[in-house]
Amino acid sequence: MNDIMLEVRDLTKHFPVSGSKRQVVHAVDGVSFQVPRGKTLGLVGESGCGKSSCARTIIRIYDPTSGQIILDGQDITHLTQRQLIPLRRNIQMIFQDPYASLNARMTVRDIIEEPLRAHKVCATAREADELIYEMLDRVGLSKEHANRYAHEFSGGQRQRVGIARALILHPKVVICDEPISALDVSIQAQVVNLLKQFQEEQGLTYLFIAHDLSMVRYVSDEVGVMYLGKLVELCEANEIYDHPLHPYTQGLLAAIPIPDPQLARAKTASSIEGDIPSPISPPSGCRFHTRCPRATPLCSQVEPVMADVGGGHRVACHLFSQCTP
Amino acid sequence: MEQIGLWDKLESSNESREKLWTKSRTFAGDVWFRFRHKPTSLAGLLLIAALLFFALVGPLLLDHDYSQQNLDYVNMPPSIQVTHTAGSSFYITSNLKLIEVGADGTLLQPVPRLQDDFNSRTQTFDYNGATLTLNYGLTPPALVDEAGNPISDIETIHNKDYPLGTDGLGRDMLARLMYGARISLLVAFIAAAVNMCIGILYGGIAGLCGGMVDSVMMRIVDIINTIPLTLYVILISVVLGNNSGLVSIVIALSSVYWVDMARVVRGQVLTLKGQEFVFAARTIGTSSKDILLRHLIPNAMGPILVTVTMLIPQAIFMEAFLSFIGLGVAPPMASLGTMCNDAIEALRTSPYQLFLPALVICITMFGFNFVGDGLRDALDPKLKK
Repeated sequence: MNDIMLEVRDLTKHFPVSGSKRQVVHAVDGVSFQVPRGKTLGLVGESGCGKSSCARTIIRIYDPTSGQIILDGQDITHLTQRQLIPLRRNIQMIFQDPYASLNARMTVRDIIEEPLRAHKVCATAREADELIYEMLDRVGLSKEHANRYAHEFSGGQRQRVGIARALILHPKVVICDEPISALDVSIQAQVVNLLKQFQEEQGLTYLFIAHDLSMVRYVSDEVGVMYLGKLVELCEANEIYDHPLHPYTQGLLAAIPIPDPQLARAKTASSIEGDIPSPISPPSGCRFHTRCPRATPLCSQVEPVMADVGGGHRVACHLFSQCTP
Repeated sequence: MEQIGLWDKLESSNESREKLWTKSRTFAGDVWFRFRHKPTSLAGLLLIAALLFFALVGPLLLDHDYSQQNLDYVNMPPSIQVTHTAGSSFYITSNLKLIEVGADGTLLQPVPRLQDDFNSRTQTFDYNGATLTLNYGLTPPALVDEAGNPISDIETIHNKDYPLGTDGLGRDMLARLMYGARISLLVAFIAAAVNMCIGILYGGIAGLCGGMVDSVMMRIVDIINTIPLTLYVILISVVLGNNSGLVSIVIALSSVYWVDMARVVRGQVLTLKGQEFVFAARTIGTSSKDILLRHLIPNAMGPILVTVTMLIPQAIFMEAFLSFIGLGVAPPMASLGTMCNDAIEALRTSPYQLFLPALVICITMFGFNFVGDGLRDALDPKLKK
């Protein structure tokens, strides 16, 4: 029994820029983390920071440029797609857009049956139907929904169909690629609670990607913050909200709206200005130095490395690496 | 039960909570709904249905066969001019035969000829003992009385034995049209079916594999596309032997026309394979074959159907054209193209022989083009109501 369910070491994914041989998009650059069995790692960052590319590289929709992906002790980095097929039972994905991720020509039954069919789980159609109806019931849909097409459902219902599809094989790891960002606020809690419930019952391991920080705090055991393809801070969930160290994390947290106007007024302004630089030619040194309020000359020259600053709180910033020589 | 007000909160266990209130409408149902609200597409569908009935059921209702010749009744038009004399009616054929016609337009029998007097340009016929004189010095030739004056008791009646007339060999035009339409539809459906199978698989594989495989496969398509179709047909009919008209046309059409289909399918697959539901299928572990057959092709079905219905009239026209220039079906089999070709010789005297097959070709083309147009509109999601 291995305690680390999913480990990523120095994962890098570069996309070629069309029309240019030299230039590449640095979508994911040297990301490393570990997710223990039954835990949730939240991955946050602004749009275009490489969260989704990271998820898709881990599940091998994209082939990694370099680095290692270790799923339950097995290195899956260099397996071919054909070799991967039996392993895909263990790692499933829930997609961001519940509209685009369900085939419009299939009924809900066909959609949920697809994993069973792909891995030849059920010998008979009756057996498959039982599993499908049980799963539909678990996600709060009924038998009558099985023969409907995906486009007849609401966003929340569709996302639950997507969850049913991902979880019917009882995978070990589920990658949730912004599963709630396309949903109404009123539906988000419903979907997240459903995911948590499944985790408690089946001991699932989640990689939960989102840009909604309060939701990530609610679901995650650990939180990683990504900026421009790199992981800049990684620590226990409450710690990162209570004691954010990296200036980027501080900026992100400061951007959370506070529902109490008096507290909001008292809030110290630590906003990040400017736009995210181009991932085709990322800034030298620390990638955040162009927007960092506390940047020093060193930041634009030397790239900081992830270092433990105590209590498992890892951060990649010169402000802290100097304190702990 | 407690009365629930309009603004009261419902229990989360309320059974209406997850109910779908919309009527279940499948994709096909949607398309049919939009299709039948367009008059031209419905008209096209009716035309095709009528044509199918004409070609498939029609020959069973006729007593003439497509190959049955009657040299007495050559080049008989659909409506004939008869002369009433000697207690009966007679029709003069274009090669100066006298045919007794019943009052309702049935052709009874040819009247035996007694003699041909070349000097006075008259022929005499023996009708039950009475002598009938035909003067072919007149234009048009006419029966004359004893004094030599043309008999003026002339009436135009409908040809009941051959409602659409006969051709230059005395074969029934209607029967030949039915068999010709049969050939056209046969060619069209075989070509469409073969093209769908080859084109979808070829284009699907090229699009799904991408990269080098795609490049090589599409260059092959380009090469096939540059060689003219007539050349194929000639070469194939040389290889297959003389009496292989239909087979060589079908082979030629099926081996060339799938190219368009392959291009359409490849384009669709290329756009679809970047969509999330295909990624989802990959992460599930679905095999490439299943992704192609269960995800990509069903979603590309719209453009595929439109291409097929547009390809059918093309194939029909190509078959007619090839038959017209003499590469088509072998006689005595009728095809719309060979009928047009046969009609050219007698065009001045019997224009109906060209007009009728041309009309059937037109109706077929109209029908399929209307349906194709209607399908394209019905499948366009932007026009969704």
